[in-house]
Amino acid sequence: MENIDAARLQMAFTLIFHIVFACIGMVMPFFMVVSHKKWLNTRNPIYLTLTKSWQKGVAIFFVTGAVSGTALSFELGLLWPEFMKHAGPIIGMPFSLEGAAFFVEAVALGFYLYGWKKIPETFHWFTGIIVGISGVMSGILVVSANGWMNAPSGFDYINGEFLNIDPVKALFNPAWFNQALHMTLAAFTATGFAVAGIHAYQVYKKRNVELHKKAFKIAIAFAAIAAILQPLSGDLSAKDIAERQPVKLAAMEAHYETKNGAPLYIGGIVDNETQEVKYKLEIPNALSFLAFGDFNAEVKGLNDFPKDEQPNVAMVHYAFQTMVGLGTLLMIAGMLFFVAKYKKKSWFNMPKFWLLFALLAPLGFVALEAGWIVTEVGRQPWIIHNIMKTKDAITPMPGIVFSLYTYIAVYTILTIAVTWLMARQIKFLNSVKTNEA
Amino acid sequence: MIYVVLAFLAVSLLLYVLLAGADFGAGIIELFSSKENQAINKKTVYQVMGPVWEANHIWIIILIVILWIAFPHYYNILVLALHIPLTLVLLGITLRGVAFVFRYYDAYKDSSQILYDWMFKTSSLVTPIFLGLTMGGVVSGDIINPSQMENHSFLEVYVHSWFNIFSILTGFFYAALCAFLASVFLIGEVDDTSKSMYMRKASIATIVVVSLGFITLAYGYLSGIAFVVDFISNIWSVSAIIVSGILLFPLWKNIKSGRRIISRALAGMQIFFILFAATITHFPNILFTTNGSISIYEHPVPDSVMNVLGISLLIGGVLIIPGLIHLLTSFKLIKLLEK
Repeated sequence: MENIDAARLQMAFTLIFHIVFACIGMVMPFFMVVSHKKWLNTRNPIYLTLTKSWQKGVAIFFVTGAVSGTALSFELGLLWPEFMKHAGPIIGMPFSLEGAAFFVEAVALGFYLYGWKKIPETFHWFTGIIVGISGVMSGILVVSANGWMNAPSGFDYINGEFLNIDPVKALFNPAWFNQALHMTLAAFTATGFAVAGIHAYQVYKKRNVELHKKAFKIAIAFAAIAAILQPLSGDLSAKDIAERQPVKLAAMEAHYETKNGAPLYIGGIVDNETQEVKYKLEIPNALSFLAFGDFNAEVKGLNDFPKDEQPNVAMVHYAFQTMVGLGTLLMIAGMLFFVAKYKKKSWFNMPKFWLLFALLAPLGFVALEAGWIVTEVGRQPWIIHNIMKTKDAITPMPGIVFSLYTYIAVYTILTIAVTWLMARQIKFLNSVKTNEA
Repeated sequence: MIYVVLAFLAVSLLLYVLLAGADFGAGIIELFSSKENQAINKKTVYQVMGPVWEANHIWIIILIVILWIAFPHYYNILVLALHIPLTLVLLGITLRGVAFVFRYYDAYKDSSQILYDWMFKTSSLVTPIFLGLTMGGVVSGDIINPSQMENHSFLEVYVHSWFNIFSILTGFFYAALCAFLASVFLIGEVDDTSKSMYMRKASIATIVVVSLGFITLAYGYLSGIAFVVDFISNIWSVSAIIVSGILLFPLWKNIKSGRRIISRALAGMQIFFILFAATITHFPNILFTTNGSISIYEHPVPDSVMNVLGISLLIGGVLIIPGLIHLLTSFKLIKLLEK
């Protein structure tokens, strides 16, 4: 394996892992504080049990997210030293603020986890809110740094040098808002459906039904709202990419020839040699409309760009289709929940309803990872869009492939271990209630 | 503004070496303990470090973020030449963090605890050794300047820079220092029977630290490592080390009479003096390559970057420090007015 492929795979692998843990660690505190609030209001002990078990989940995911994040902050320099040498000072601001937000989160979490019966109740609950808010802040700041790679700004690039650096402008780069909005909604959708799905499965299996139904309702409410809002954010992102990264948009749609009134392809198999997309569903003029809000607008095709400045078209196209397809499915599921809640309460007694949500559990995360593949692979061959190529940023140290193998081994073990730990938490939760009853 | 940034850099380094060091040390002590003492230690670590342990480890993130933003060229040389030990440190931090959570948060306390404990103890020893190795590598004078890397072999560029006797000695010295810190910190947290156990550990750790420190310096001096040779002939460094050594006497007196805040402060001051001694001789040239030292100021970043970083750090500090102190006092980790 080439060094560059090994380095990119290692980065992708650690990011894929980190994103799952970071999202759960960022969103679950909100479920936890809602349940906690319900306990404070109703004094129903089920909510206390639920809060405490979710709190354990938050602690476990916070730490795994934090250590995998620490690993990433080192890897940026270790794998891409040339990138960090130039980009580090420019995008340092979101990272230093992220460090601060993360610190606040750690302090607040310390209070929350160890504060039961030791600090005033309302203040204790409030520290949980701080955990959630600072987690979301961290996420937004890190995404802003990624946005800068897509929309580099806050400097002048003259004769290969980065001059007149303005870190504030780099932080608020043109991509930050759309990306941060899309990612925050995605985090709530993915985590919400995953948590709700796990509890739905327990209801389906008739284990400790009362508790798991309550847990499901809290998690799915967040997820459903986020999933219903997500297409709006997706539309903003698409229009933004059409402007700033037309080659990425063309790859997402496997759109080869520049055209007025370009059609939208749904699905299909991409053949990059013949530049054909087979077995697709074609909607005339829809791409022009989605990208520019005009059915006859011109959409640039891949052929307008040099071959060595195009990303891997098939991968970006498939990932994009996966993201949009699953996103739509989850949006419909979110609507179903609201129909059940306000119109068809009887659905909550149907096993099929619970089975459906149990099956949806992993799909939010699949969509979320697919979305990151779209934006990261779609940016290639650039590490900084139109400024620095990924191959020019890599470390000169040979043998990265061994580092890759080590990471794969360690992270695979971690994934298995964390899954196992979660399964034991749920098993324990169920056993506690049965003993009491 | 550069002085604000440097101050934060120094404080993060000191706090990381001190607090994370005590964390690592707790695991090292457990590794070298009998079964019963291991159980006592496990419980104590949870009570004492549980609420703050994650905060302790954030200092390293702050540290490297400051380095890459404000001193990118300096950081660039570090990540190139010390890629391998840094990766090993990372793996150690990862495994240790995960083991810590598993052993305290697993819903069932069964035989899997044996695995978590083993993971926790070994990574607690291995991580500071590689961390110390990295620090040793920075000053041992075997780093090859990136501009000349092409004329050297893989081993010379990526391995000899840190895999040399001086760096290895530094690695073991830091691990011993961690054990010393942890035993001093934990003495104040336990009842009288466990106290004698930590006293014993502390005295062993003191002996190991002092002898390893002496061996490391002696080896460095005899093999002509520029950093150590200059260090020994600099009046400030030598005085700092001597002060750090002398502080052992009041430290032991206070440990015996059970004044835990004073004894912790003294141990902290010792670390401060050791770091002060290590940096003062050559500052700002705190990186040694095969052909001379490199200044942290080399290729300075524009003022705009430095100013924004300084302001961010000040804002972050204002937000965090009161919270952190409140956290420490709430759980009686620091009794500010101890009687």
